[in-house]
Formats: sequence, structure tokens, C-alpha cells
Amino acid sequence: MLRTEEMLLNVGPQHPSTHGVFRLVLKIDGEIIKEAKPVIGYLHRGTEKLAEDLQYTQIIPYTDRMDYVSAMTNNYVICHAVETMMDIKVPERAEYLRVLAMELGRYCSHMLWWGTFLLDFGATTPLLYAFREREMALNLLNELSGARITFNYMRVGGVKWDAPEGWIEKVKEFVPYAREQLKGYSEFASGNEIFQSRMKGIGKFSKEDALNYSISGPSLRSTGVKWDLRKNEPYSIYDRFDFDIVTQEAGDVWSRYLVRLGEVEQSLRIIEQACEQFPSEGDIMAKVPKIIKPPKGEAFVRIESPRGEIGCYIASEGKKEPYRLKFRRPSFYNLQILPKLLEGESISNLIAILGAVDIILGEVDG
Amino acid sequence: MMQDLLHSEPGLLNFGIVFAGAVLLLFVILGFVTYGILAERKVLGFMQSRHGPNQVGGPWGLLQTVADVLKLLLKEDTIPKLADRPIYIIAPVIAFAPSFMVMAVVPLTDKLQFADVGVGLLYYIAVTGLTTIGMLMGGWASNNKFALLGGMRAAAQMISYEIPLVMSVVGIVLLTGSMNLNDIVAAQENLWYIIMQPIAFIVFFIAATAELNRVPFDLAEAENELIAGFHVEYSGFRWAMFMLAEYVYMFAMASLITVLFLGGWLPLFSFLDFIPGAVWFALKFSAVIWVLIWFRATFPRMRPDQLMEMCWKVLLPIAIANIFLTAIVKEILNLF
Amino acid sequence: MLGLAKGLKYTLKQLTKEKPTYEYPKEPLPLPDRFRGIQKFYPEKCIVCNQCANICPTDCIQLTGKKHPDPTKKGKIIDTYDINFEICILCDLCTEVCPTEAIIMTNNFELADYSRDMLFKNLEWLDENDENVRKVNKP
Repeated sequence: MLRTEEMLLNVGPQHPSTHGVFRLVLKIDGEIIKEAKPVIGYLHRGTEKLAEDLQYTQIIPYTDRMDYVSAMTNNYVICHAVETMMDIKVPERAEYLRVLAMELGRYCSHMLWWGTFLLDFGATTPLLYAFREREMALNLLNELSGARITFNYMRVGGVKWDAPEGWIEKVKEFVPYAREQLKGYSEFASGNEIFQSRMKGIGKFSKEDALNYSISGPSLRSTGVKWDLRKNEPYSIYDRFDFDIVTQEAGDVWSRYLVRLGEVEQSLRIIEQACEQFPSEGDIMAKVPKIIKPPKGEAFVRIESPRGEIGCYIASEGKKEPYRLKFRRPSFYNLQILPKLLEGESISNLIAILGAVDIILGEVDG
Repeated sequence: MMQDLLHSEPGLLNFGIVFAGAVLLLFVILGFVTYGILAERKVLGFMQSRHGPNQVGGPWGLLQTVADVLKLLLKEDTIPKLADRPIYIIAPVIAFAPSFMVMAVVPLTDKLQFADVGVGLLYYIAVTGLTTIGMLMGGWASNNKFALLGGMRAAAQMISYEIPLVMSVVGIVLLTGSMNLNDIVAAQENLWYIIMQPIAFIVFFIAATAELNRVPFDLAEAENELIAGFHVEYSGFRWAMFMLAEYVYMFAMASLITVLFLGGWLPLFSFLDFIPGAVWFALKFSAVIWVLIWFRATFPRMRPDQLMEMCWKVLLPIAIANIFLTAIVKEILNLF
Repeated sequence: MLGLAKGLKYTLKQLTKEKPTYEYPKEPLPLPDRFRGIQKFYPEKCIVCNQCANICPTDCIQLTGKKHPDPTKKGKIIDTYDINFEICILCDLCTEVCPTEAIIMTNNFELADYSRDMLFKNLEWLDENDENVRKVNKP
């Protein structure tokens, strides 16, 4: 009798399409996946435990290394949490700088995603185009904070550096250029029938599934849920900007692709408005005691990172180190639906589905 | 000249001459491969807004491929412990040999051809099919699951694409009335087959790209899915043999497209025939290669099931319809 | 098919565009003044207050002081000062807390070496690292 045998296939931890050290144990029948078991933890560094021995300022460089593609949002969430506990009012200029930095970070993050995601389909060219523009944004952030990836830019109560001279103008110049390039991208890749045929209808999940698995960010918005913390629970000064929540209805890989590209567009809009509203002078640092000691108690804040809702919970005993620190890391939560999505898909689709989740392993493993 | 040699008495001298000719051709092809790879990397680089190789051998990186080959020669030759050794060792040879064998029948100019075989086209297509066996053997013998999947994909792809490839050229054979490649070129004296048989050209080009395992059909060695497919365990010169086979096929296939559809060594217009045929051939050939590189810079990889679907449900019916159409048109023309 | 053709047109247009890449080791990477590279240390400015060692998130700074050789003066001077660049993350916090700007960042970032031991930089090395020193150190 004709019989096919199932076999176990180890995808990762060293595999070009897992975007880091992520391992998937697949039970496959031919090329069809019968069962997928993600194995995570290869990049676990124990940030949360380490933080219990660190002062609040010292934790900030550690958060850079969690979601290393958009470190600014991580910087912000820890500072925001401490500021909420200590009731610090951040100066306006610092808020604008923070928003500019975060949105540039979002731009970088989505560009990197766009490049690597299309690279997974075997197209090497988009990666280099994406990196060309991302490089410009990184140079801007480098001028602002002194580093390209691990910014360590924000401090409790403000930001470390003021904008250097002419920086705002440079950002202003960058926005139309980035928009122009973005149009080229949709001409180059989004309209391409092969790309579309590989993305449409793949890795579908419903609105209910997304909510049940507590998926957030672009993955959630791709199912039609209009939920963006920048609009729904405005933090910082996001209520002053005019931008849209990009949503799609289908919930497949293609709609996630469109949502992310739409978000790049919206980020550029925010950057443009922030540059225009940017106060000509002002403090960049609130009055903060030299050693930060939040009062006894706890706080939880959440903000919208490029990957979803990033949350920070701090329990303080009134000492200079936190008693307990916990990050809600969006990549980790978004990944949980993967085994369900992968069942019955082929190995080629695995790459598309995994890529569309947009995981950063530093964030998944903590 | 070659034709006379092939028909002459077997002897040590004649064998020596034929052998020397083959070696010469091999070196010509190796030279092409060296600079074909460089050209590919350069054009890819320019299209991806970077410079490409520019360190070894001047600003154009003229010695880059040579350096790469030297590196490959020096690399350790690894054989997995549980690999099927004899098959593992022989697989690259089986993959490479047919790619060189097909060059025997491809006429580069009216004089430069090794064997003027009556069924040249059939011979070409039949021999190319052998390479898949080499890939499958390599994938199987590596004792690696990714390699196995890659080998299986290569086999499936080759079987599917051989058929539309053959079917698409039947129209040309009908019009020419011969499978001899020289006759096919001669028949394009007035009008190239790319104009007479545009549908066949498109089908043939797509199928040829699939045969060459190039983007957007490089499923067998999808580096993002199967890491490198069937040759994932190979290293050093064994790996180079696979790569060499691929690029020699590129040479052969571009030559075949030139011969079948672009009028071989014939000039573009008859008043331009003072330019030697070899130059015309080289120009047309380079254009085909350039398009292949251009595709690589632009397109993503297709999914295996989409590929199969396209082959069986789109290309094959179109190719068969093209045969019918050609036959009908030919009959109508014969009536007058 | 139209999308494919558009893609081909786009890549063709890129063929002749100016390339943003350049030959890196031959041409240095342009870096802003704020760039955080390997630290430069001024032993004469250091007052051995230990703040840098305390704020360092990865504990990569080790320093010892000794009594001032001039008995009329109070305070200490620096004796040894080591930064372990295996674990230093160049976070800039040491320069931020330094009251006398005795430790500041430079724009040098090329730390690759043949041995891990070479990444252990001592006072003399950090003192000699005086190229591309950052001009503005405090916001």
C-alpha cells in the first residue's frame, strides 16, 4: 500500500528566515505542515530580573536591547512608567523630541520589516532599497542621540540631548523624500502579482481569534479592529496630531503588509506635523531628583510600539531599584497564534506567515 | 570541419583533435561563466543601488570570480558522516556533465559547431533532463531533510517544465520542418521566430527560466525556505560543480533561445551582414542573459504549488493551442 | 503582468542612479559629534568619585585611587582605571555622571581585535585614545 511518512524538521535556531534565533519543530508530510511547535528562549537575557538590581536610569540601556529594531519606544515605555509613578510633567520640547524619535524609529522598524519580509520571498532587491532609506533615518537618529540602534536617548523626565542645530530641518527634508520612495515601493513590490499571490489569503485569522490571542499592533488592525493606543489612549502628545488608524478587513498576510505600509505613511505625517509644531525653545528635562526613587506602589503603562502594545509594569518599594519590573512584549504575544496558523500550510507559506508576524527575537525572549 | 572529423576513421589523432576542441570549448564556457557571474553580480549590484564587486582586480572586480573559485578549491571538502558516500560524490558530476554535453549541438555560428545532429533540438532537451537526476541524487545522498525537500522540488519542477518547453518549440519544428538547429536558424533568414511565434517564445522563456532554476523559479535552492536546497551539505569544489552546471546551463539555454527565436548568428538587417556572425550571436546572447539577470533583480520566488499550477493549467494548454494554431496557419498558407 | 512590468521598470531606473554606498575602510564613516564611541580618559581631571563605576549598567569599569602625592592637597588621584570592552555597551552613562568630564566619548568605534584580552583597556590606553574626541559632552 502507498504510504507517506511524516518527518520532523527543525527550522532554526539557525535558519535565515526565522529572523534571529527562533526554532520551529515541524512535523511535515511532504511539504505540508502537520504540527508546528515553536521553541523560544535562545536569546533570553533576563532583562526583567537584571532590572531588579539596577537603578532606573541604568535600566534604560537594557531596554534598547529588547526590541532592538525600534529601541525608542522601549526607552519611552520605561521612562513613561516611572514618570507616571512619580507624577513628573515632561517639558513640551522633550515630548516633541520623543515623538519625533519614536516615529522615526517606527519608520526604521517598518522599513526593516518590509525589506526582510520580501527577502523571505527570495527577492533580494527590496532589502537594499529599504536599508537605503532606513540608513538615512538612522543617521538622523544618530545625530540626535549618538547611536544608531541602541539609542539610550530618553531619561526619566525628558530626553538626554536637545535637537542639534538644523536637525529639525533635516527631518523636514527627509519626509517628502521618504514619501516619494514609498510610492516607488508600492510600484515596485506591492503591485507585483507574484508577491500578491504569495500573500493573499495566507495565514488568515479572524477578529475573534486575534482578540482571544491578545494580538496587538498591525496584526490586530489587519483584521479590522480599529485599535491604536496613540488614538485610543493618547499618551505623550499624540492627541495633537492628525493621523489615521490604518485597518484592513481580511486578516491575512497581505492585509498585514498593507497595514504596515500604511503606518509608515501615517508616521511620516506625524513627523511632518511634529516638525511644524516643534517649539522653538524650552527645557528638555523636567526637574527630577538626581537619584530616582519612585514612591511605594505600582504602575502599568502601555504604548503602541511598531509591533504592538508594549507595556511596562513597575512595582516599587520606594527604593532606587524596582522591586519587580515586567514588560509586556508584543512580539511574544503576537507569536502565540503561530502553531494554529501553521497547521496545514506548506513550508513556503510558513516563511510568509512567520515574516508577517514581525517578531524580534530580542523582544520575544526578553 | 568538425563534421568531417566526426565522419572520418576512428583513430588516435582524430580523437585527440576532437578532445582538444572540447577542452577549448570548455575553457570558452568557463570564461563565460567567470564573467557571467561577475556581470550578474555587477548588474544586480547596480540595480540594488550598490556597486557590486570592486576590490579584487580593479574597480570592476575583474578577478573576483577567479578569487572565489580559488577559495572554493582551497576549502575543506566535507562529507556528512551518514551520507551515502558514492552517490554523494558522483552527484555533482552527473549534474554537471549533461550541461556541457548539450553544448555539442548548439551552433554558435554557421561554422562553429561541434555536431550537426539531425535531431539537435530533441537531443538538447533530452540531455538537460539528466541534470535533475544529479540534483535528486545529491539531495537524497546528503542525508539532510532540507536537501531532500530541495531535491524533490527540483525533480517535480523539472518534470513539469520539460513538457511545456518541448510543446512550445513544436510550432517552430512545424514551421521549419526539421529539428536540426542549423536548419532552424536558416529558416529565420527573413523573419525571426520571435515574431512568427510570439506565444511560443513567451512559453519557452518562462519554461526555460524554470529549467534554469533561476528567480522567480529557484524553488529547488530556495535559500530562505530550504536554506540552499539540494546542495546544502556540499562544500568546496563539489558545490562549485553544481553552481557551474547552473551557469553552463544558463549559457546553453541563452544560446538555444538565440538560435530558436532570435535568428542565431543572422544579422538584424541583411545590409548589416558585414558584421561577423559571431558578434551577432554574442549580442543576442548577451541580451538574453541580461534579461535573466534583470528578472533576478526584480522578482520574488514563486510558491511550488503555484508553479505547478501555472505549468499544467496555463503554459501547457497555451503551448498546445500554439501548436494547433501554427498547424492551421501553415495549412492555410500551403493552400495558396 | 502589469505589476511585473512596473517592477522591471523600477529596477531599470535604479540602474543608473547614484549609489549611496562607498568604500568604507578607505573612506571613514561620517559620524556626528554626539556619536558614542570608545571612551577617552583624562587621568589628571579624575577625582576618583566612583560615580562612573557605580552608574555603569554592566559593571565594566574598575578603578582604584591613591592618596594625592602632594601632602598639602586633599583628595585622591586615579591609580588604575580599566574598562572591559567585552561587556561595555557604550551607553554614555559614565560620561553623563562624571562631574569633571574626566571620561568622555570619542568617535572611534573600531574595536575588533585578535584576542579577548585586548579588549581590556587600561588607563594608559584610554588616555592615549585622543582622536575624534567629542566636543560637546553635556547637554
